[in-house]
Amino acid sequence: MNKQLALEDAARLIRDGQVITIGGTLCQRVPAAFVREIARQGVRDLELVKPSPGYDIDLLAAAGCVRRIRSGIVSLEQPYGMAPNFRRAVEEGRLEVIENACPTIMASLQAASFGVPFQPVAGLEGSDIPKVSGFGKVADPFTGKEVYVVPAIRPDWAIIHVNEADVRGNARIYGSPVWDRLMSRAAQRCILTTEKILPTEHFAAQPELTIIPEVFVEAVVLARGGAWPTSSYPEYDVDDDGMWNYLERLRAPEGLARYLEESKSHDRSGIEVAA
Amino acid sequence: MSSSYGPPEMMAVAMARLIRDGELVFVGVNSPLPLVAVSLARRLHAPSSTLLSIGGGINPTPNKLGPATSNARLSVGSASVFDNVDFYGLVARGGVDTTFLGLAQVDERARVNSSFIGERQRPAVRFPGGGGAAAILPLSRRVILWRASHSPRIFVKEVPFVTSAGNIARIVTPLCIFRKEKGQLVLDSLHPYVTRERLVESTGFAIKNLDGAPLTPPPTEGELAELMRVDPEGVRRVEFPARELSAA
Repeated sequence: MNKQLALEDAARLIRDGQVITIGGTLCQRVPAAFVREIARQGVRDLELVKPSPGYDIDLLAAAGCVRRIRSGIVSLEQPYGMAPNFRRAVEEGRLEVIENACPTIMASLQAASFGVPFQPVAGLEGSDIPKVSGFGKVADPFTGKEVYVVPAIRPDWAIIHVNEADVRGNARIYGSPVWDRLMSRAAQRCILTTEKILPTEHFAAQPELTIIPEVFVEAVVLARGGAWPTSSYPEYDVDDDGMWNYLERLRAPEGLARYLEESKSHDRSGIEVAA
Repeated sequence: MSSSYGPPEMMAVAMARLIRDGELVFVGVNSPLPLVAVSLARRLHAPSSTLLSIGGGINPTPNKLGPATSNARLSVGSASVFDNVDFYGLVARGGVDTTFLGLAQVDERARVNSSFIGERQRPAVRFPGGGGAAAILPLSRRVILWRASHSPRIFVKEVPFVTSAGNIARIVTPLCIFRKEKGQLVLDSLHPYVTRERLVESTGFAIKNLDGAPLTPPPTEGELAELMRVDPEGVRRVEFPARELSAA
């Protein structure tokens, strides 16, 4: 089954008010072209569930697409520092943060991927996070010891940028898959953006290298350079000029619209390359 | 002692000295100084320690260190890819000796706030969040905190929100090293270029053993020479605000 879609069509799958999770971490292997397309289409009231967002939440916060976020850490990393548009949106009360630790989001996604209602989490003693974020504490039925638990969270969509995919949705990620293997199993359905589309035989030759199998995948988008200005190892590293340009552009009132317009042909060129 | 050094070199060396040979050491995101420190320790006194990088590598050998420690280049040279789920499983089962963690604020009772100041729904200040710290601080055998800045707004009497608390072994700053003793932060040592008056002015709580604490031994020629080899491009400086670099 051929699941290949153009970027614009795949982005239309995301509806107002849905819960999404986004692959990669901070400024590494973020499906950035897809994130910009969501912003161009003006999707509203999304909830983002992700242990370590960066470029993605900063842009989506600037565009007003996200109403609530569950995260452990939000940063663009050095030398760019804290995500300024995320920070502003939270401090102005436009974006609600449900405070988590990275492994509590991980556990919520694990529960969803295993089909169980909640998941115990180790640690958290002395932290105010369980109290403000509504985690539970239950007695282990076997030992009686108390343990923190978090609810299962099944995002409507996982959006993940990969190095290679076939049109059926089998995908390889080189370097660390970060959280993406888990995200693909936890979400209702998965949308892939990929640097390359290759024949299924390529994946069948070494199936153990396939991180995401086709059964989880709804759509595949050819997006060469689709993580830019974040990295896609080993093809390209974080684009330093691209990151500073992004931060500079968004300082101006009309900066976001201009930035989305300037990056549009780059983002939407993938399908043409395939044809 | 002829070589010059400043706060970045003092901090990198001080953090490297805290690593013990044979330990499994984790370096997470947003951690340029710890990455330099572990790389340095492995070239000096701790060659058998193991670096576990959030970039995915176990003792990776990238051709150069960069400021982004979540970069997948930090799996180059590693014989396996160790992803985030693997790490949080290992730390939860008690398998990590030492972890480096950053902080936005810390108080007298060694409680860390990396979340927010003010009302949760509309905070006066939003910080990045603690990452995995709330789980790691009680679970990693030792945690070394660091911050490349030292002011009364960072080192406070009482944090308004506790993101994380637990097994803090040391806190390394541009001015000093703190340790936790009976649930309180005390001065472990003062860096050689810092006066006790300056430390008092820069810290938001009273330091009980201010006069009794020793000076941090300055970096040796050997430590500095190896530091330049490990970090020729000065990744150790990237976290420092300008005022901390000029104040030494």
